[in-house]
Amino acid sequence: MAVTTIVGAEPERTTARIRSVNRRILLDAWRMPSFRIGFFIFVALLLVSAIYPEVSSISATKMIVKDKFLPPVFLGDKWSWDHPLGTDQLGRDMLMRCLIGLQYSLLVGIVTVVLIFVIGCGLGLFAGFKGKWWDTVIMRITDAQLSIPMIILAITILGVSRPTVPTIIIVLALSGWPLYARVARSAAVAERGKEYVRGLRVLGAGDWRILLLFAAPNILPPIAFVAVLDVARMMIFESILGFLGLGIQPPTPSFGSIIADSRKYLINAWWIATTPGIFLAIALTSINLMGSSLEKARNRIYGGL
Amino acid sequence: MLILEFLVKRIAQGMLIVFITSLIIFTLLRVVPGDPVRLIVGGMAPPDVVERVATKMGLRDPIIVQYGRYMRGLLQGDLGQSYLRPRSGMIATGGQYVDPTKSDMAPVIELILERLPFTLQLGGMALLFALLIAFPIGVGGGLHQHGWQNALAFGVQSLFVSIPNFWLAIVLILFLSVKLKLLPALGYQGFSYVLLPALVLAVEIAPFIIRTLTTSLGEVMQATFIDEARVRGLSRRRIVYSHALRNAAVPLVNLLGIQLSTLIGGVLVIEYIFDYPGLGNLTVVSVVGRDFPVIEGIAITTSAVFVFINIIVDLVAYLIDPRVEI
Amino acid sequence: MDLSLILEVNDLTVGAVTPGSPPILDRISFRLNTSEIFGIYGESGAGKTVLSRALANWLPDSLRYRAGRVAFAGHDILKPGVQDVRTGRDIAYIGSKPQSSLDPTVPVGAQIAEKLHSVRPEWNPRECRDRVMQLLGEVRIPSPKERYWDYPSKFSGGMMQRAMIVDAICAEPAVLIADNITRPLDVTIAAQIVELLHDLCLRHKTATIYLSASLPTLGQFGAQTAILHQGRFVEQQEFAELMAAPKADYTSKAIASVPRMWSTAEGPLARRQAQGEVPLMKVQNVYRTYRARKRGTFNTYSNIQAVRGVTLDIMPRENFGIVGESGCGKSTLTRLLAWLEVPDNGSIVLNGTSLGDLSSQELIRKRNEFQLLLQDPYNALPPRTTVGRMIEESLLIRGSIPRAELRRRVTAAMAEVGLSAELYDQLPNALSTGERQRISIARALILDPKLLILDETLSALDQREQGRLIELFSRLQDKNDLTYVFISHDLAMVRKVCTRIAVMYLGEMVEIADNGDLFFDPQHPYTKALLSAAPTLEDKPFNPSDFLLEGEPPSPIDIPEGCSFASRCPKAFGRCRVETPKLLEHSSGRFSACHLLDRGEAKAAA
Repeated sequence: MAVTTIVGAEPERTTARIRSVNRRILLDAWRMPSFRIGFFIFVALLLVSAIYPEVSSISATKMIVKDKFLPPVFLGDKWSWDHPLGTDQLGRDMLMRCLIGLQYSLLVGIVTVVLIFVIGCGLGLFAGFKGKWWDTVIMRITDAQLSIPMIILAITILGVSRPTVPTIIIVLALSGWPLYARVARSAAVAERGKEYVRGLRVLGAGDWRILLLFAAPNILPPIAFVAVLDVARMMIFESILGFLGLGIQPPTPSFGSIIADSRKYLINAWWIATTPGIFLAIALTSINLMGSSLEKARNRIYGGL
Repeated sequence: MLILEFLVKRIAQGMLIVFITSLIIFTLLRVVPGDPVRLIVGGMAPPDVVERVATKMGLRDPIIVQYGRYMRGLLQGDLGQSYLRPRSGMIATGGQYVDPTKSDMAPVIELILERLPFTLQLGGMALLFALLIAFPIGVGGGLHQHGWQNALAFGVQSLFVSIPNFWLAIVLILFLSVKLKLLPALGYQGFSYVLLPALVLAVEIAPFIIRTLTTSLGEVMQATFIDEARVRGLSRRRIVYSHALRNAAVPLVNLLGIQLSTLIGGVLVIEYIFDYPGLGNLTVVSVVGRDFPVIEGIAITTSAVFVFINIIVDLVAYLIDPRVEI
Repeated sequence: MDLSLILEVNDLTVGAVTPGSPPILDRISFRLNTSEIFGIYGESGAGKTVLSRALANWLPDSLRYRAGRVAFAGHDILKPGVQDVRTGRDIAYIGSKPQSSLDPTVPVGAQIAEKLHSVRPEWNPRECRDRVMQLLGEVRIPSPKERYWDYPSKFSGGMMQRAMIVDAICAEPAVLIADNITRPLDVTIAAQIVELLHDLCLRHKTATIYLSASLPTLGQFGAQTAILHQGRFVEQQEFAELMAAPKADYTSKAIASVPRMWSTAEGPLARRQAQGEVPLMKVQNVYRTYRARKRGTFNTYSNIQAVRGVTLDIMPRENFGIVGESGCGKSTLTRLLAWLEVPDNGSIVLNGTSLGDLSSQELIRKRNEFQLLLQDPYNALPPRTTVGRMIEESLLIRGSIPRAELRRRVTAAMAEVGLSAELYDQLPNALSTGERQRISIARALILDPKLLILDETLSALDQREQGRLIELFSRLQDKNDLTYVFISHDLAMVRKVCTRIAVMYLGEMVEIADNGDLFFDPQHPYTKALLSAAPTLEDKPFNPSDFLLEGEPPSPIDIPEGCSFASRCPKAFGRCRVETPKLLEHSSGRFSACHLLDRGEAKAAA
């Protein structure tokens, strides 16, 4: 006699591996060609700027006056493979200078954004979750900080003392943290009203426990994704400071200072101005492509939820 | 009634913020190393001359006293006098010693008022250009989320935001001004001198307008009430322009207030490169020369402009969308 | 009555854009005459909204018409290029989400006038405005001229739905499609809206298609009714005949699934009591008021009186129900009972200890005795946390426990609520609503509580899941000696489950009685109104038309003098507007707050 299997009334419970929201955002971004292009270019630039200066023997700062104003490859009549991007007014190799400049740019950009994220989000989460007095105080401080434009702060502090990498980072971080504090705060306020927070309170959990164990891991990742864009923004600021003479001091190369100096030789040796700009633009575009893709993916996933 | 209370409250807060900002800048200048007196009397002057001049200028008094003196003057509309510029014109160059306590120096407030209109003109034109570029692209991208318009918006926005403003300025000067002779570049001798700087500044502002418009318009178009407006009988044109754009404009207006800071920074650099006679230019020169009164005056002015624009921004947001907290 | 044919639908078939997928609507056909009302019953998911949109030529981009025609006055509106028929003017639609139907940044009246001018450009804007104001008055929105300029956020659900009705009929359409319009509304408001729509359609001679998930509501129209199941009309008859002799199997099942409150076979539940018992929880004269700053002022505040002087005793092992409509204060009361908020006045005593006297350390320990289960299981559980970790949290808050011991206790709790142990390390994403509620129950149970407060916990579940959970609750009650407090707006559920019920209105208790007494012999006029508005197919033990309410409850900011129900009570008299009635025990075990019950009054209790 055939045994008839009776299918149970309950549907078969599939315990498929569930992807967390953040993983989904990353995957969604990865699927976009814009993200991949940006990612590969960025990684390439990172590697080149890290490795090439170690490997090559050419110096970025030693002046070889006889070699000055050599044009880049294939252009003009005195080019050479020793200097693929030409030399500047003091005979220094442009490629090397650009790469070293890129190193510093990336260093300042990334470290600043990490600092801004930690300080800004830390204060913002705290203000949003605890509320009342803390909230008011911290928000007033952000207001005051926001009303001083970065450039004025930078000029005031860096314009008189000798700017070093740490001071530049501090100035940029000071001007950047309020925005993150605001964003983190409004996210925290929204989170505070959610049902699961109420559920945890009923069980007896205190504010700190809920904030650190449950709310923060929920709030921070979306902000972190968009923070990628700010690396580019900080790099631009660093180059502006360099341009105004408030950045990394010569002879150490930085994009801004190279371009500032190059203005005098614009007509004869235009490559001194253009090459660092192109380097910077490529680096920034790659970061912006990644950041915008992440932002788009985040909006899509959160919108669909 | 509501608006009146809002204005009173915000202006009071604004004055507080300006006050705090000026206090911060004031203190910073005197705390960070770099003595203006040294620059004025020259590097060769003996220490007692420096001290004498400094005491006469009041720079050796405690900071609170100095600030009190400054505030008293401020309330009477007097922002002090420049350390460097005499009333009649050019800055003293190295070697020439102009004693600021003796001769008649340019009042800061005049310096600022002289240059403010230029900066405002630059800002206004830049905003206009930015809107002219960004609006069509942003709206197109927002309405066609999966079409070429969206890709275009994304591309343009990524490109513009990756170009450092000073570099673009130099490149454009090289091509449009020197090689092609289409637009004048440096200084100011007529309205056409504002166009190139405004264009560069516009490229800096445009990306964030495009980005915000595309995202928020895209979101609004998904809303239930937009969908339902169709069955209620409203034409597509009316739905998009009277309702969708209205709702999408609010986040745009809000972010404008925050972007202001970056904008001011941009103006500064652009004025410096183009030698444009605005406040930004004045700032750079004054800081390098440690011209305290001018720096402080500019800080107060900038702060006040900042507060003012933020109030306008919040008011406009409320007028568009009455749910905004006011 | 004009009986000409206005709408004829033949073999309407709609499906997804991707070819080969099964149709969502399959060969729908019916005829509609002017002034006629056509009812369509369908469960959620049967295709009501798709049908309503298809009839208005308003399909979303993901769907398309596959076959059939919809002929309005002879013209097939599905053919492209038909100019004579226009949605908004000739065919109007009212949806089930009134709060999101209009632009939130433009005043309501202005938007309706804008629509009117768009579809009838021959009327100038001023005429449109006047017409809209007049119609707002006709749907009984108070102060229509002022409300014209209010923004959508200022309108309550009921008010907004009335405004949407104005929006639909202002252009004098020939056909009106009402898609589940009372879904988001409270029972008493919904009853008014249905009555209103019926009246308007008869007066303006609008042919109406009324779609609903509630058979009793369709019964109010008593007209031609169709049953929609899986995209097909399984039956189409006059309502009375449908009830008496349903032809399709599904129809009989649908009729059977309508909750029965008065004609059930089971008797009302009675509490298992013991002699000389003290209440488990005593709520004594509890008040809670919120202060909100009036917009735009510096320091003028409005006081929102959410809970006003509530006193009740919850006895051990009973199932105490608290019912009320939105705005009555039950959510606030729930938070007070769970001690998530502290009452401004009055006290709550649990097992002899006043909760207000405890220090925060003692409070955490005391929380073991009473726990709260929330309504929405999707939002009530912390995201990205495994099932086991969620339940562990209850114990971890109170101190660290060795891993093995922790795991053992959590697994035991899971078993008790019927969750399989292999779910321990999994995320709850794939679980059903009922299973998620079980997680909530487990993490409360692991603390070994004596009192469980359930805040609309069963509302989000379908009949089957609800049944299973009720069974679970009953089992747990016997085993662990539990007491339950159910807070709900669902009268049918409360009738099935609770032993004693309290009715709440505008922050106060108006009646407390045993289950049977409350349903068969309600004392307070509000209770009677609430019960009469409840959608059932049965006969009620009192005359419902005596108790149809008007308007909305007063705002909790501006509570009038005297009885708060007086403004809407059909039996109010002089004393009601001056003196607030107290909650008195008029007969043993039955409390109510109404002057009508006072002996010595001229009017007899209804």
